[in-house]
Amino acid sequence: MQPHDHCLCSRRQILAGAATGFGMLALRAMAGVPLHCRARAKNIIFCFMDGGPSHVDTFDLKPMLKKFEGKAIGSGAVSKRSQSNAGRVWFGSPWEFKQRGQSGLWVSELFPHIAQVADKLCVVRSMVGELPLHGQQNLLLHTGRILGQAPSIGSWVSYGLGTENRNLPGYVVLNNDWVPNGGLENFGSSFLPASHQATMVRAKGVPVDNIAPHDEAVIQRRKLALLAQQDAEFAARTSDAPIIEGAIANYETAFRMQSAVPGIADIAGEPEYIRRLYGVDSTDEHQRFYATQALRARRLVEAGVRFVEITCPSFDGNNSPWDQHGQIRQNHAKNARITDQSVAALISDLDQRGLLDETIVLWAGEMGRTPHTPKISETCGRDHHVNGYSIFMAGGGFKGGMAFGETDEFGNSVASDPVDIHDIHATLLHQMGVDHEKLIFRHGGRDQRLTDVHGRVMRELTA
Amino acid sequence: MKLSATIACLLTASVMSAEDIFVSKVEPLLKQRCFDCHSHEKKIKGGLALDSKSGWEKGGESGPAIIPGKPEASLLMQALSHAEKDVKMPPKKMLPGSEIAVFAEWIRLGAPDPRVSVAKSSQDLAASDTWDVEFHKRLDWWSLKPMRKVEPPKLDDVAWSKEPVDRFVRAALSAAKLQPAPPAEPGVLRRRLSFVLTGLPPSSASASLSDEAYVDMLLQSPRFGEHFARHWMDVVRYTDTYGYEWDNPAKGAYEYRDYLIRAFNDDISFAQFLREQIAGDLLPRPRINMASQTNESLIGPMFYHLGEHRHGSSLMFNGIHQEMVNNKIDAFSKAFLATTVACARCHDHKLEAVSQHDYYALAAIFTTPRWTSRVIDAPNKNDAAIAKLKELRAAIRAEVAVAWKKPFERGFLKQWAETHGAALKGVGAPLAAPDQLTQKAAEWRKARMAAQNANAIFKLLADPARAQLPHGWVMEGDGMKHGFVEEGTPLIALEGDAVIARLLPRGWHTHALSSKLPGALRMPPEHLIPGRFVSLDLAGGEFGGQLVIDDHAFQNETIAFYTNTIPAWRSFGDAELKNGVQQVTAEFATSSLNPNFPPRTGLAKGLKNDDFGYDKRSWLSVCGIASHDKAGTPQDEQNAFAGLYDAADSPDAWQRIAAWFNSAVTRWREGKTQPGDQPVLDWLHSSGLLPNKAEPGSRIATLVAEYRSAEAGIGFPRTVNSMDQRETAPASYPLNVRGNVDVTGTLVQPGFLKMLDPKARVSDRLTLADSLLDPEHPLTARVYVNRVWQWLFGTGLVATPDDFGRLGVMPSHPELLDWLAREFIREGWSTKKLVRRLVLSQTFRQSGLVADAARERDPENRLLHHYPTRRLEAEAIRDSLLAISGRLDPQHYGRPVLPFRSAEDAAKRLFSGPLDGHGRRSIYLQMSIMDPPKFLVGFNLPDLKLPAGRRDVTNVPSQALIMLNDPFVNEMAKCWAAGLLKNKDMNREDRVRQMFERALAREPNAAELRRWTAALQDFGGDTPDAWERLAHALFNTKEFLYYR
Repeated sequence: MQPHDHCLCSRRQILAGAATGFGMLALRAMAGVPLHCRARAKNIIFCFMDGGPSHVDTFDLKPMLKKFEGKAIGSGAVSKRSQSNAGRVWFGSPWEFKQRGQSGLWVSELFPHIAQVADKLCVVRSMVGELPLHGQQNLLLHTGRILGQAPSIGSWVSYGLGTENRNLPGYVVLNNDWVPNGGLENFGSSFLPASHQATMVRAKGVPVDNIAPHDEAVIQRRKLALLAQQDAEFAARTSDAPIIEGAIANYETAFRMQSAVPGIADIAGEPEYIRRLYGVDSTDEHQRFYATQALRARRLVEAGVRFVEITCPSFDGNNSPWDQHGQIRQNHAKNARITDQSVAALISDLDQRGLLDETIVLWAGEMGRTPHTPKISETCGRDHHVNGYSIFMAGGGFKGGMAFGETDEFGNSVASDPVDIHDIHATLLHQMGVDHEKLIFRHGGRDQRLTDVHGRVMRELTA
Repeated sequence: MKLSATIACLLTASVMSAEDIFVSKVEPLLKQRCFDCHSHEKKIKGGLALDSKSGWEKGGESGPAIIPGKPEASLLMQALSHAEKDVKMPPKKMLPGSEIAVFAEWIRLGAPDPRVSVAKSSQDLAASDTWDVEFHKRLDWWSLKPMRKVEPPKLDDVAWSKEPVDRFVRAALSAAKLQPAPPAEPGVLRRRLSFVLTGLPPSSASASLSDEAYVDMLLQSPRFGEHFARHWMDVVRYTDTYGYEWDNPAKGAYEYRDYLIRAFNDDISFAQFLREQIAGDLLPRPRINMASQTNESLIGPMFYHLGEHRHGSSLMFNGIHQEMVNNKIDAFSKAFLATTVACARCHDHKLEAVSQHDYYALAAIFTTPRWTSRVIDAPNKNDAAIAKLKELRAAIRAEVAVAWKKPFERGFLKQWAETHGAALKGVGAPLAAPDQLTQKAAEWRKARMAAQNANAIFKLLADPARAQLPHGWVMEGDGMKHGFVEEGTPLIALEGDAVIARLLPRGWHTHALSSKLPGALRMPPEHLIPGRFVSLDLAGGEFGGQLVIDDHAFQNETIAFYTNTIPAWRSFGDAELKNGVQQVTAEFATSSLNPNFPPRTGLAKGLKNDDFGYDKRSWLSVCGIASHDKAGTPQDEQNAFAGLYDAADSPDAWQRIAAWFNSAVTRWREGKTQPGDQPVLDWLHSSGLLPNKAEPGSRIATLVAEYRSAEAGIGFPRTVNSMDQRETAPASYPLNVRGNVDVTGTLVQPGFLKMLDPKARVSDRLTLADSLLDPEHPLTARVYVNRVWQWLFGTGLVATPDDFGRLGVMPSHPELLDWLAREFIREGWSTKKLVRRLVLSQTFRQSGLVADAARERDPENRLLHHYPTRRLEAEAIRDSLLAISGRLDPQHYGRPVLPFRSAEDAAKRLFSGPLDGHGRRSIYLQMSIMDPPKFLVGFNLPDLKLPAGRRDVTNVPSQALIMLNDPFVNEMAKCWAAGLLKNKDMNREDRVRQMFERALAREPNAAELRRWTAALQDFGGDTPDAWERLAHALFNTKEFLYYR
């Protein structure tokens, strides 16, 4: 772990920090004290592909599906981890796959830009979920529990490692005006202190609620000066002065956030070629939103935010963006157009800046999609599937250009090396220098963990 | 795929007999891999021993481990394959595929096992003994022991001796050698009392009152009920929507919220309050609120429906109803017992005397009733109007009978038929070809015979002659109760100059008198109805329809809304019961009584997304119920034509037709209609052949106008999701092994926690409520009294209000808790008496001054040596802003007000309301699980899915951002400033004084007066903008946001 130049906390800050709920580990991280294990990465950017992109149309090549297209899958292929019945038929991918880069990693033509950074990707093709349902899988992906009621991974990272910038929160969700299935709980801090819940930054309009000062600066400063005097007297009169002092300190932080947050959210100052790289110039509104958020994500990790999540924009009234039960040809292509270029740009831009080594880019939906469909047609789609699907990590010490795990020859179930979300969580934390079994919070009478009682650090995936 | 390849290898490599395989491969594997945990030598985990054949035959908690010949159905294979998270064996690491294949092959070959039982019977019993021993050990716990009968300690301190509560507190302080804080200043105490009792800042008018009078005034204020209802709403996880993916409205939740407000304001005894929420639908004498004509008791069970609910059915996705039931058990046991029963879903409780069996017994109690909508209007609310409508309908009918006196003549009909070709369908078809009557008659006879033969397989369950439902079927609502009509009963037209809208067939028609009347028909579980199918002859419109319900998953999406006026048969086949589903049933309901109306957006065609389903006309007709074993539906026996084709053979076709019509009309006029008349009459009516116009000024026009006016006087029904246990058999509920919904164990009968009901007297919700209200119950009163204490003091005597168990905190004043609980019962379970006693105590009146010794020895103030500084709750902040700025709308009750949202999502009905919520108190804002009011969330509104006996109080920068920049706060400052400036006679100092008085309930001192007028100058002088800024700054003072 590199020593950080801002780690000199005053006692007052530490106390204020304790009031706002910093974990001890966070203090160690801020003070440059070694963590549980060697930290390879400092930040995570999570590109959340809400709705479940199809694995067999992206990273998991299955020629058998084309060969047997239209043939009934039979009862042997039915699984409760899939929306399935024996009468459904195999459905070959409408997209061509090619081997990419030096590594020869298979990526379909759905993702022409991501294909260009294939050598950076560590694809896991054998993800197993619990239930083929959005709400549960989203919560599992975020909180490690299908019922939620536990902190989001971003909150855990913020709690465990703190923020490197006291003017910014530790966990930021770059949202596109979208509440995913499972609700805002996906981004919540649950039993962890509320300061670790995600701060939402909007793509459209004002980026953060109440961040724009209502008053002009001179007026606001005058108000704060008035409050400082008034509140100090009140603090002296109350029994619990530290609470009031904490509240006073929050006004100071809030004051600074008003300029710090919009500054980072404002991408106008980025050079034209960078803006183009991400696709901020796109004529498609949704792609523009996504590109803006991806670029903000880079700026946020540069500024010291630990965990940044980007949600997918929803371009129609669908339940979730990637949830193509029908019209998969048209709408998977559309989702890919919205996100592909920006995700690839984020990886290559971080790489060029030397930041990819210390930043993990996680690309994952909550599920994959069935390799079968009720009936082949121009408008057919794929349904919910958690019995083997693909996600990828890039940077932060993950091996590039590799694919881990296999599904069977139809992409219908895991054939080798099943990986669950707890394993991914454990590995992400490990790369951040945190032992997932030691990052705990006492709640409900027991020591709670992100990984509950599961999780295995997957050293096979890391360099 | 790998597995089958290995089996293939195994088979080709060596052809062994099954016994050989056992001896050479299976037994060694069992010893090596399984015996550590599943043998009499070592342990018998989960009750499963694998060291004998009988061991796996009997199996463990989950049942037999092996089904010979069927590896795919054997639990052992399921466990070995690690397919289920909760039954992975061996738990740490899956066996190599080759070893699993050995087991699979051996089982496929019939699982021969020559070993005989080595078990001794005593050892077999060991497993169950362990729990019994443990159970009895765990009963030794403070909160399960009887409440002590204690005398308050005697004190020397006179001031602290009057109120027994104070004597307990003071004695404990003395024992710790600590002194109480001096009394709070009067202004500080008033502000504290006002917030604690009403959630609003004090008004200046009360300054002259004594403390007692002031407290009484606050207790009598209707604001008290609003504030305390909100406390209880936290406990029961109140929500206006069901969350999950679509955030559907929770029908009638707001009626429950209003019920709570009334209950607290009227000081309904907690005993009644508890009884109603647990079993309000079962009370022999429900509590009727005469003023509002409301059946209060029936609203109570909405308690169960709160929290998150998934749509869909467990038959399609296993786990839906089980999760819902878990949420109910969790809420019930935390709210009333402060016990974490939900922990026992997967195993006997790790710490408490709660077994897994207890959990499922409670589940059986809660899943016995139908979870559905009920009408909460007082039972006889519409009786007068209904009697009037019936009377008017009869009078109109009599008038019409006169108007229809003139018989049809052949010549007229012939001529009419020539000019009305389009109408000659259905009943009118014979008029199109009068020369073919003889031929048609033969065809009709043949078709009629065929239909009658085909119909032989259908057994009619409802007696058509009587308005009687089959056994086990229940109806709800005045629409059904008063909806049965004889063949041809007129439906009076509600608009236009027509008298009759149509003529109804015999059957139930919820709209027979008014389509505002609600109606529902609920069938017994399908499998209890004779025959494999049940069919109903149904019509409906305006979102009247059906809902198939699998084990209480009332957000099932097998929902259909009818759009047919003429009844048509619909069949319901017995569904295969699986996934632990115990029953499938169907309900037929008008929209107001459909528990899933409005359903998720898009499912009710024609319903706009922003239509929350309130105040709708809706109707439903049920004209027949039949059971049968073969698929299909009853066919029309064409009774309508009997009068034509079976009549005496007149050579003149038109004569015959006229006679057919005339006899039907005559029977109708004489009130003697017979089956088959209604289609004839309705055709004549709809074809305009029968006079149907209310001539202005006629008697009939007067009667129709009266009918319409009486109908207009009927209100839309008020309905809530509640319980309906009429005609239901006690449910038994399958235990889920290790909580895994895919592994069902034994069926558990209804019952309660053994630790609280050792004699097993509880068998349903009513006996459950009774048992909780036993004056010697160790938990009920203690738990509630502790909650009230916490609402007043910030921390309960037990600091963990939802957990009085081993994971909770021990009581700080156990004797006081017991004394208070007994006193509470003695005083009739009165919340207000309890509150009054506590807030007038010396303990409550202490100031916030903390002595050094106290800070040192009791930093958490468990001994109550001062009153803590408390941040206003989210609602109190918002409500205070409204109240101080003069924007508060004092209106009570009503449908939820949409919170302000910066972005809307129409598909989930997440629309934005006005910035200031119309000035309504926060309790009336819509509590959407998916997107609760942001302003309140910023200040720790709890997660709406779960019971939250105690709120978090965080202290984070985003709260400062809200207070500084949120447009609502600034809007309120502006509103306040505008109000202040209305009074032109005040100078700056006076205004600042008034502002301090309103916001902080005190006068500013001289320094403050100077400070704030100076700030005003810097903000722009005596201008509206400057005053707004000053008001805004005052809202941001910590003194405003906290009370002490």
